[in-house]
Amino acid sequence: MSERQVIDARGAFCPGPLMELIAALKLVGVGEEVEVLSSDKGSASDIPEWVAKVGHEVVTNDDRGGYWSIVVRKAK
Amino acid sequence: MAAKPLYILLCSGEHEKIQMAAMTASVAAVSDRPVTVFVSMNAILAFAKGRDKDERYQGGHFSKLFKEKKVPDAIELFGQGKMLGDLRMWACSMVMDLLDWEPGDLADDLFDEVVGLTKFLSEAESGDLMTL
Repeated sequence: MSERQVIDARGAFCPGPLMELIAALKLVGVGEEVEVLSSDKGSASDIPEWVAKVGHEVVTNDDRGGYWSIVVRKAK
Repeated sequence: MAAKPLYILLCSGEHEKIQMAAMTASVAAVSDRPVTVFVSMNAILAFAKGRDKDERYQGGHFSKLFKEKKVPDAIELFGQGKMLGDLRMWACSMVMDLLDWEPGDLADDLFDEVVGLTKFLSEAESGDLMTL
C-alpha cells in the first residue's frame, strides 16, 4: 500500500475540505486512505455524512482541539 | 436506487444566492446526484469571462465575509462539481441574446450549452427544482 495522503484544509470553509478530499480520493486506489485536516466545524460532520452516502469508510475522526483529523478509506 | 436529479434555476445576481447555488450544485453532484444549473437574468453577469472577484460578486454582509475569509469561490465550486461529479451548466438563451453574448463571453470551461427555458423546464420535470 502506498503512503497515506494528507490534505491540510485547515482555514478553508465548507465545502472546501470536502471537495479537496473528493479530488484526492479520485486519484488513489481502492483500499487506500486519505487523511483530511479541517478546522471547519461543519465539515467535521459533513465529511462523514458524505462518506457514508457514497459508500466509502471513515477510519478515524479525531478532534485535535481547533481542528479535526478525518481518515477515509476508499471502498469502491 | 438512483438519486432523483436536481435542477437549479439561478436568476439572482446576489453573491449569497450564487454561492448557495454553487455549494448545493457541487455537493449534490459529488454525492452521486445528477445536477443541472440553468443560469438566467442578473445571475449570468457573474459568469462573464475575465472578471475579478470584486467585479463579479455583488452582495451583502455574507458577500463581504466570503471575500475576506477562505470561502471557496463560486465559479471554482461549479468547476469542481463538473470535474468530480455529474453537473451540467446551461446558460439561458434569452439573456445571452439580450446581452449580445456568445458562449465565449462566459467563464471558461463551465457552460455545456446555451438553451431555452422550455428545454430546461421539460427536463426538470424528472427531478426536483430549486430556484435561487
